[in-house]
Amino acid sequence: MKKNFSNTYIFIYSAVLVVVAALILTVVSVSLKPLQTKNQQAEQKQMILKTIGVEATRDNAAELYAKYITEADGYYRFDGGIVLPLKGTGLWGPIWGYLALDNTSTVVGAVFDHKGETPGLGGEIATDKFAQRFIGKKMDTQAIHLAKNADRDNPYEVDAISGGTMTSNGVTAMLAKAYDDYSKMRKEATE
Amino acid sequence: MKNFDLIKLPFSKNNPILVQVLGVCSCLAVTAQLKPAVVMALSVTVVVVLANLIISLLRNTIPPRIRIIVQLVVVSTLVVLVDQVLKAYVYDVSKQLSVFVGLIITNCIVMGRLEAFAMVQKPWPSVLDGLGNGLGYSVILIVLGFVRELFGSGTLWGYPVAEKLGLYSIGYENNGLMIMPPMALILVGLIIWWHRSRNKDLCE
Repeated sequence: MKKNFSNTYIFIYSAVLVVVAALILTVVSVSLKPLQTKNQQAEQKQMILKTIGVEATRDNAAELYAKYITEADGYYRFDGGIVLPLKGTGLWGPIWGYLALDNTSTVVGAVFDHKGETPGLGGEIATDKFAQRFIGKKMDTQAIHLAKNADRDNPYEVDAISGGTMTSNGVTAMLAKAYDDYSKMRKEATE
Repeated sequence: MKNFDLIKLPFSKNNPILVQVLGVCSCLAVTAQLKPAVVMALSVTVVVVLANLIISLLRNTIPPRIRIIVQLVVVSTLVVLVDQVLKAYVYDVSKQLSVFVGLIITNCIVMGRLEAFAMVQKPWPSVLDGLGNGLGYSVILIVLGFVRELFGSGTLWGYPVAEKLGLYSIGYENNGLMIMPPMALILVGLIIWWHRSRNKDLCE
Protein backbone atom coordinates (compact mmCIF):
# COMPACT_ATOMS: atom_id res chain seq x y z
CA MET A 1 0.00 0.00 0.00
CA LYS A 2 2.83 2.40 -0.74
CA LYS A 3 1.13 3.96 -3.75
CA ASN A 4 -0.82 7.16 -3.42
CA PHE A 5 -4.05 7.20 -5.36
CA SER A 6 -5.56 10.49 -6.48
CA ASN A 7 -9.24 11.22 -6.09
CA THR A 8 -9.69 11.24 -9.84
CA TYR A 9 -8.20 7.76 -10.03
CA ILE A 10 -10.56 6.52 -7.31
CA PHE A 11 -13.61 7.95 -9.09
CA ILE A 12 -12.68 6.48 -12.44
CA TYR A 13 -11.68 3.17 -10.90
CA SER A 14 -14.98 2.71 -9.10
CA ALA A 15 -17.01 3.82 -12.13
CA VAL A 16 -15.25 1.36 -14.43
CA LEU A 17 -15.55 -1.45 -11.90
CA VAL A 18 -19.28 -0.96 -11.47
CA VAL A 19 -19.94 -0.72 -15.20
CA VAL A 20 -17.99 -3.90 -15.90
CA ALA A 21 -19.86 -5.75 -13.14
CA ALA A 22 -23.20 -4.50 -14.48
CA LEU A 23 -22.32 -5.61 -18.01
CA ILE A 24 -21.39 -9.11 -16.91
CA LEU A 25 -24.57 -9.48 -14.87
CA THR A 26 -26.76 -8.22 -17.70
CA VAL A 27 -25.31 -10.67 -20.18
CA VAL A 28 -25.69 -13.63 -17.82
CA SER A 29 -29.17 -12.65 -16.71
CA VAL A 30 -30.43 -12.28 -20.28
CA SER A 31 -28.87 -15.51 -21.46
CA LEU A 32 -30.20 -17.62 -18.56
CA LYS A 33 -33.68 -16.08 -18.58
CA PRO A 34 -35.31 -18.66 -20.90
CA LEU A 35 -34.19 -21.58 -18.72
CA GLN A 36 -35.39 -19.88 -15.56
CA THR A 37 -38.76 -18.99 -17.04
CA LYS A 38 -39.18 -22.57 -18.16
CA ASN A 39 -38.50 -23.79 -14.61
CA GLN A 40 -41.02 -21.34 -13.17
CA GLN A 41 -43.72 -22.30 -15.65
CA ALA A 42 -43.16 -25.99 -15.02
CA GLU A 43 -43.42 -25.34 -11.30
CA GLN A 44 -46.72 -23.50 -11.76
CA LYS A 45 -48.09 -26.44 -13.76
CA GLN A 46 -46.88 -28.83 -11.06
CA MET A 47 -48.75 -26.83 -8.43
CA ILE A 48 -51.98 -26.78 -10.41
CA LEU A 49 -51.77 -30.51 -11.08
CA LYS A 50 -51.15 -31.15 -7.40
CA THR A 51 -54.45 -29.53 -6.42
CA ILE A 52 -56.34 -32.07 -8.53
CA GLY A 53 -54.32 -34.93 -7.09
CA VAL A 54 -51.88 -35.49 -9.95
CA GLU A 55 -48.25 -35.72 -8.82
CA ALA A 56 -46.00 -34.45 -11.60
CA THR A 57 -42.26 -34.05 -11.85
CA ARG A 58 -40.87 -31.00 -13.56
CA ASP A 59 -40.08 -33.01 -16.66
CA ASN A 60 -43.53 -34.44 -17.27
CA ALA A 61 -45.50 -31.47 -15.87
CA ALA A 62 -46.13 -29.88 -19.27
CA GLU A 63 -47.35 -33.14 -20.75
CA LEU A 64 -49.70 -34.03 -17.85
CA TYR A 65 -50.92 -30.45 -17.72
CA ALA A 66 -51.94 -30.57 -21.36
CA LYS A 67 -53.77 -33.82 -20.65
CA TYR A 68 -55.78 -32.77 -17.57
CA ILE A 69 -56.15 -28.99 -17.63
CA THR A 70 -57.75 -26.54 -20.04
CA GLU A 71 -57.27 -22.83 -19.47
CA ALA A 72 -60.22 -20.45 -19.80
CA ASP A 73 -60.63 -16.79 -18.77
CA GLY A 74 -57.85 -16.96 -16.18
CA TYR A 75 -59.24 -20.16 -14.64
CA TYR A 76 -58.02 -23.71 -15.03
CA ARG A 77 -60.69 -26.28 -15.76
CA PHE A 78 -60.33 -29.99 -15.13
CA ASP A 79 -62.72 -32.87 -15.49
CA GLY A 80 -65.23 -32.30 -12.68
CA GLY A 81 -64.34 -28.82 -11.56
CA ILE A 82 -62.27 -25.70 -11.68
CA VAL A 83 -58.97 -24.47 -10.21
CA LEU A 84 -58.93 -20.90 -8.87
CA PRO A 85 -55.66 -19.00 -8.92
CA LEU A 86 -54.92 -17.12 -5.68
CA LYS A 87 -52.61 -14.11 -5.47
CA GLY A 88 -51.87 -11.89 -2.51
CA THR A 89 -49.30 -10.49 -0.14
CA GLY A 90 -48.02 -11.97 3.08
CA LEU A 91 -45.80 -10.29 5.61
CA TRP A 92 -42.60 -9.99 3.59
CA GLY A 93 -43.64 -10.45 -0.01
CA PRO A 94 -45.98 -12.13 -2.45
CA ILE A 95 -47.89 -15.30 -1.58
CA TRP A 96 -49.88 -17.35 -4.05
CA GLY A 97 -51.68 -20.61 -4.45
CA TYR A 98 -54.28 -22.65 -6.27
CA LEU A 99 -57.60 -24.00 -5.03
CA ALA A 100 -59.34 -26.84 -6.83
CA LEU A 101 -63.15 -26.88 -6.49
CA ASP A 102 -65.56 -29.57 -7.63
CA ASN A 103 -68.93 -28.76 -9.20
CA THR A 104 -70.51 -28.02 -5.80
CA SER A 105 -67.71 -25.53 -5.02
CA THR A 106 -66.22 -27.86 -2.43
CA VAL A 107 -62.44 -27.77 -2.14
CA VAL A 108 -60.83 -30.96 -3.39
CA GLY A 109 -57.26 -29.76 -3.26
CA ALA A 110 -55.16 -26.75 -2.38
CA VAL A 111 -51.57 -25.66 -2.62
CA PHE A 112 -49.84 -22.52 -1.41
CA ASP A 113 -46.43 -21.02 -1.84
CA HIS A 114 -44.60 -17.86 -0.88
CA LYS A 115 -41.59 -15.80 -1.81
CA GLY A 116 -40.08 -14.99 1.54
CA GLU A 117 -42.33 -15.65 4.53
CA THR A 118 -40.55 -16.55 7.76
CA PRO A 119 -39.58 -20.23 7.73
CA GLY A 120 -41.42 -22.17 10.42
CA LEU A 121 -44.04 -19.44 10.91
CA GLY A 122 -45.74 -17.86 7.88
CA GLY A 123 -43.66 -20.11 5.66
CA GLU A 124 -45.75 -23.04 6.90
CA ILE A 125 -48.45 -22.17 4.34
CA ALA A 126 -46.31 -23.96 1.76
CA THR A 127 -46.60 -27.29 3.62
CA ASP A 128 -48.99 -30.08 2.70
CA LYS A 129 -50.20 -30.12 6.29
CA PHE A 130 -51.59 -26.61 5.92
CA ALA A 131 -53.02 -27.22 2.44
CA GLN A 132 -54.87 -30.35 3.63
CA ARG A 133 -56.90 -28.27 6.09
CA PHE A 134 -58.79 -26.80 3.13
CA ILE A 135 -60.06 -30.07 1.75
CA GLY A 136 -63.82 -30.39 2.18
CA LYS A 137 -64.31 -26.66 2.86
CA LYS A 138 -66.67 -24.67 0.63
CA MET A 139 -66.47 -21.59 -1.57
CA ASP A 140 -70.17 -21.53 -2.60
CA THR A 141 -71.97 -18.73 -0.73
CA GLN A 142 -69.04 -17.11 1.01
CA ALA A 143 -65.27 -17.22 1.03
CA ILE A 144 -63.18 -19.44 3.27
CA HIS A 145 -61.30 -17.50 5.90
CA LEU A 146 -58.58 -18.38 8.40
CA ALA A 147 -59.33 -18.08 12.10
CA LYS A 148 -57.72 -18.85 15.43
CA ASN A 149 -59.10 -22.03 17.01
CA ALA A 150 -61.22 -22.55 13.93
CA ASP A 151 -64.33 -24.70 14.13
CA ARG A 152 -63.53 -27.87 12.20
CA ASP A 153 -67.16 -28.41 11.24
CA ASN A 154 -67.59 -24.91 9.83
CA PRO A 155 -67.13 -25.28 6.06
CA TYR A 156 -65.92 -21.68 5.70
CA GLU A 157 -63.31 -21.67 8.44
CA VAL A 158 -59.75 -23.00 8.41
CA ASP A 159 -57.31 -22.98 11.31
CA ALA A 160 -54.77 -20.16 10.95
CA ILE A 161 -51.04 -20.51 11.54
CA SER A 162 -49.82 -19.74 15.04
CA GLY A 163 -47.09 -17.12 14.87
CA GLY A 164 -48.03 -16.33 11.30
CA THR A 165 -50.91 -13.90 11.75
CA MET A 166 -49.87 -11.49 9.01
CA THR A 167 -49.40 -14.29 6.53
CA SER A 168 -52.71 -15.86 7.59
CA ASN A 169 -54.47 -12.52 7.03
CA GLY A 170 -52.88 -12.40 3.59
CA VAL A 171 -54.26 -15.85 2.82
CA THR A 172 -57.74 -14.79 3.98
CA ALA A 173 -57.56 -11.67 1.81
CA MET A 174 -56.56 -13.56 -1.31
CA LEU A 175 -59.29 -16.15 -0.72
CA ALA A 176 -61.86 -13.34 -0.43
CA LYS A 177 -60.60 -11.80 -3.65
CA ALA A 178 -60.70 -15.13 -5.44
CA TYR A 179 -64.24 -15.75 -4.13
CA ASP A 180 -65.45 -12.39 -5.49
CA ASP A 181 -64.07 -13.10 -8.94
CA TYR A 182 -65.35 -16.64 -8.88
CA SER A 183 -68.90 -15.73 -7.85
CA LYS A 184 -68.99 -12.97 -10.47
CA MET A 185 -67.88 -15.47 -13.08
CA ARG A 186 -70.56 -17.98 -11.98
CA LYS A 187 -73.26 -15.32 -12.06
CA GLU A 188 -72.33 -14.32 -15.59
CA ALA A 189 -72.33 -17.95 -16.63
CA THR A 190 -75.90 -18.53 -15.39
CA GLU A 191 -77.30 -15.35 -16.91
CA MET B 1 4.19 -20.71 3.95
CA LYS B 2 4.26 -23.57 1.49
CA ASN B 3 1.53 -23.76 -1.09
CA PHE B 4 0.32 -27.11 0.19
CA ASP B 5 -0.17 -25.65 3.66
CA LEU B 6 -2.57 -23.12 2.16
CA ILE B 7 -4.96 -25.94 1.40
CA LYS B 8 -4.15 -28.16 4.38
CA LEU B 9 -4.35 -25.68 7.25
CA PRO B 10 -7.93 -24.45 6.68
CA PHE B 11 -9.00 -28.08 6.81
CA SER B 12 -8.06 -28.50 10.42
CA LYS B 13 -5.74 -26.19 12.36
CA ASN B 14 -7.20 -23.05 10.82
CA ASN B 15 -10.66 -24.23 9.85
CA PRO B 16 -12.93 -21.26 9.13
CA ILE B 17 -15.84 -22.70 11.12
CA LEU B 18 -14.10 -24.67 13.87
CA VAL B 19 -11.27 -22.29 14.68
CA GLN B 20 -12.13 -18.89 13.26
CA VAL B 21 -15.86 -19.48 13.90
CA LEU B 22 -16.84 -17.63 10.72
CA GLY B 23 -19.72 -18.45 8.40
CA VAL B 24 -21.74 -20.06 11.19
CA CYS B 25 -25.07 -18.48 10.21
CA SER B 26 -25.36 -20.26 6.87
CA CYS B 27 -23.85 -23.39 8.38
CA LEU B 28 -26.76 -23.67 10.81
CA ALA B 29 -29.42 -22.66 8.34
CA VAL B 30 -28.86 -24.86 5.32
CA THR B 31 -27.71 -28.15 6.82
CA ALA B 32 -31.07 -29.76 7.67
CA GLN B 33 -30.57 -31.89 4.55
CA LEU B 34 -27.53 -33.10 2.72
CA LYS B 35 -28.35 -31.79 -0.75
CA PRO B 36 -28.71 -28.06 0.05
CA ALA B 37 -25.65 -28.35 2.29
CA VAL B 38 -23.56 -29.69 -0.59
CA VAL B 39 -24.86 -27.07 -3.02
CA MET B 40 -24.20 -24.30 -0.51
CA ALA B 41 -20.70 -25.68 0.15
CA LEU B 42 -19.92 -25.74 -3.57
CA SER B 43 -21.34 -22.24 -4.09
CA VAL B 44 -19.29 -20.72 -1.28
CA THR B 45 -16.14 -22.52 -2.48
CA VAL B 46 -16.62 -21.24 -6.03
CA VAL B 47 -17.27 -17.70 -4.81
CA VAL B 48 -14.31 -17.57 -2.42
CA VAL B 49 -11.87 -19.03 -4.98
CA LEU B 50 -12.94 -16.65 -7.76
CA ALA B 51 -13.15 -13.63 -5.46
CA ASN B 52 -9.66 -14.37 -4.12
CA LEU B 53 -8.34 -14.69 -7.68
CA ILE B 54 -9.93 -11.48 -8.94
CA ILE B 55 -8.99 -9.39 -5.92
CA SER B 56 -5.44 -10.74 -6.01
CA LEU B 57 -5.11 -9.80 -9.69
CA LEU B 58 -6.44 -6.32 -8.98
CA ARG B 59 -4.63 -5.88 -5.66
CA ASN B 60 -2.07 -3.35 -6.89
CA THR B 61 -4.66 -1.21 -8.63
CA ILE B 62 -7.17 -1.07 -5.77
CA PRO B 63 -7.04 2.23 -3.87
CA PRO B 64 -6.89 1.26 -0.17
CA ARG B 65 -9.51 3.83 0.74
CA ILE B 66 -12.22 2.05 -1.26
CA ARG B 67 -10.91 -1.49 -1.00
CA ILE B 68 -13.87 -2.84 1.02
CA ILE B 69 -16.29 -1.43 -1.55
CA VAL B 70 -14.30 -2.97 -4.38
CA GLN B 71 -14.31 -6.33 -2.58
CA LEU B 72 -18.05 -6.07 -2.03
CA VAL B 73 -18.73 -5.32 -5.69
CA VAL B 74 -16.65 -8.30 -6.79
CA VAL B 75 -18.25 -10.65 -4.26
CA SER B 76 -21.80 -9.47 -4.98
CA THR B 77 -21.30 -9.89 -8.71
CA LEU B 78 -20.07 -13.45 -8.22
CA VAL B 79 -22.89 -14.31 -5.83
CA VAL B 80 -25.56 -13.00 -8.18
CA LEU B 81 -23.98 -15.07 -10.95
CA VAL B 82 -24.09 -18.20 -8.78
CA ASP B 83 -27.71 -17.46 -7.86
CA GLN B 84 -28.71 -17.08 -11.52
CA VAL B 85 -26.97 -20.31 -12.48
CA LEU B 86 -28.65 -22.23 -9.65
CA LYS B 87 -32.06 -20.87 -10.66
CA ALA B 88 -31.49 -22.03 -14.21
CA TYR B 89 -30.02 -25.47 -13.56
CA VAL B 90 -31.01 -26.68 -10.06
CA TYR B 91 -34.27 -24.83 -9.45
CA ASP B 92 -35.50 -26.89 -6.48
CA VAL B 93 -32.30 -26.47 -4.56
CA SER B 94 -32.20 -22.77 -5.31
CA LYS B 95 -35.71 -22.44 -3.88
CA GLN B 96 -34.66 -24.28 -0.74
CA LEU B 97 -31.56 -22.17 -0.28
CA SER B 98 -33.61 -19.03 -1.09
CA VAL B 99 -32.11 -16.11 0.79
CA PHE B 100 -28.98 -17.93 1.87
CA VAL B 101 -27.36 -17.77 -1.55
CA GLY B 102 -27.67 -14.00 -1.45
CA LEU B 103 -26.24 -14.07 2.04
CA ILE B 104 -22.97 -15.56 0.76
CA ILE B 105 -22.14 -11.91 0.13
CA THR B 106 -22.06 -11.34 3.87
CA ASN B 107 -20.36 -14.65 4.66
CA CYS B 108 -17.44 -13.56 6.78
CA ILE B 109 -15.21 -16.26 5.30
CA VAL B 110 -15.28 -14.59 1.88
CA MET B 111 -14.56 -11.05 3.04
CA GLY B 112 -12.11 -12.36 5.62
CA ARG B 113 -9.99 -14.17 3.04
CA LEU B 114 -10.02 -11.18 0.68
CA GLU B 115 -8.93 -8.74 3.36
CA ALA B 116 -6.43 -11.02 5.09
CA PHE B 117 -4.95 -12.85 2.14
CA ALA B 118 -5.84 -11.88 -1.42
CA MET B 119 -5.13 -8.17 -0.93
CA VAL B 120 -1.45 -8.90 -0.29
CA GLN B 121 -0.71 -12.20 -2.05
CA LYS B 122 -0.07 -13.35 -5.61
CA PRO B 123 -2.93 -14.91 -7.59
CA TRP B 124 -1.92 -18.58 -7.39
CA PRO B 125 -1.49 -18.76 -3.60
CA SER B 126 -4.74 -16.79 -3.32
CA VAL B 127 -6.60 -19.38 -5.36
CA LEU B 128 -5.20 -22.15 -3.16
CA ASP B 129 -6.09 -20.23 -0.03
CA GLY B 130 -9.64 -19.76 -1.30
CA LEU B 131 -9.89 -23.41 -2.20
CA GLY B 132 -8.59 -24.50 1.19
CA ASN B 133 -11.00 -22.31 3.10
CA GLY B 134 -13.92 -23.20 0.85
CA LEU B 135 -13.23 -26.89 1.35
CA GLY B 136 -12.70 -26.44 5.08
CA TYR B 137 -16.16 -24.85 5.24
CA SER B 138 -17.59 -27.54 2.96
CA VAL B 139 -16.38 -30.43 5.12
CA ILE B 140 -18.23 -29.14 8.17
CA LEU B 141 -21.38 -28.40 6.19
CA ILE B 142 -21.45 -31.85 4.65
CA VAL B 143 -20.84 -33.60 7.98
CA LEU B 144 -23.67 -31.58 9.56
CA GLY B 145 -25.99 -32.18 6.60
CA PHE B 146 -25.26 -35.91 6.74
CA VAL B 147 -25.90 -36.29 10.47
CA ARG B 148 -28.95 -34.01 10.56
CA GLU B 149 -30.70 -35.54 7.56
CA LEU B 150 -29.95 -39.10 8.66
CA PHE B 151 -31.23 -38.71 12.23
CA GLY B 152 -33.73 -35.92 11.64
CA SER B 153 -35.56 -37.23 8.57
CA GLY B 154 -34.26 -40.80 8.27
CA THR B 155 -33.10 -40.11 4.71
CA LEU B 156 -29.84 -39.41 2.90
CA TRP B 157 -29.92 -37.27 -0.24
CA GLY B 158 -33.67 -37.96 -0.21
CA TYR B 159 -33.19 -41.76 -0.11
CA PRO B 160 -35.26 -43.26 2.73
CA VAL B 161 -32.51 -45.11 4.61
CA ALA B 162 -34.37 -45.73 7.86
CA GLU B 163 -37.47 -46.97 6.05
CA LYS B 164 -35.48 -49.37 3.86
CA LEU B 165 -33.72 -50.78 6.92
CA GLY B 166 -37.14 -51.40 8.48
CA LEU B 167 -36.35 -49.30 11.54
CA TYR B 168 -39.79 -47.70 11.82
CA SER B 169 -41.50 -51.06 12.16
CA ILE B 170 -39.44 -51.84 15.26
CA GLY B 171 -40.35 -48.56 16.94
CA TYR B 172 -37.64 -46.18 15.67
CA GLU B 173 -38.57 -42.50 15.55
CA ASN B 174 -36.88 -39.59 13.78
CA ASN B 175 -35.36 -37.01 16.08
CA GLY B 176 -37.31 -33.81 15.38
CA LEU B 177 -34.73 -31.68 17.16
CA MET B 178 -32.15 -32.61 14.51
CA ILE B 179 -33.87 -30.57 11.82
CA MET B 180 -34.05 -27.46 13.99
CA PRO B 181 -31.18 -24.92 13.71
CA PRO B 182 -30.33 -25.09 17.46
CA MET B 183 -29.30 -28.73 17.02
CA ALA B 184 -26.85 -27.66 14.32
CA LEU B 185 -25.29 -25.27 16.80
CA ILE B 186 -25.00 -28.07 19.38
CA LEU B 187 -23.42 -30.35 16.76
CA VAL B 188 -20.93 -27.64 15.74
CA GLY B 189 -20.12 -27.23 19.43
CA LEU B 190 -19.50 -30.96 19.79
CA ILE B 191 -17.27 -31.00 16.71
CA ILE B 192 -15.28 -28.02 18.05
CA TRP B 193 -14.93 -29.82 21.39
CA TRP B 194 -13.64 -32.97 19.72
CA HIS B 195 -11.37 -30.90 17.45
CA ARG B 196 -9.80 -28.98 20.34
CA SER B 197 -9.27 -32.11 22.40
CA ARG B 198 -7.26 -33.46 19.46
CA ASN B 199 -5.33 -30.19 18.95
CA LYS B 200 -4.28 -28.98 22.37
CA ASP B 201 -2.28 -26.11 20.90
CA LEU B 202 -5.55 -24.43 19.82
CA CYS B 203 -6.81 -24.11 23.38
CA GLU B 204 -6.39 -20.69 24.91
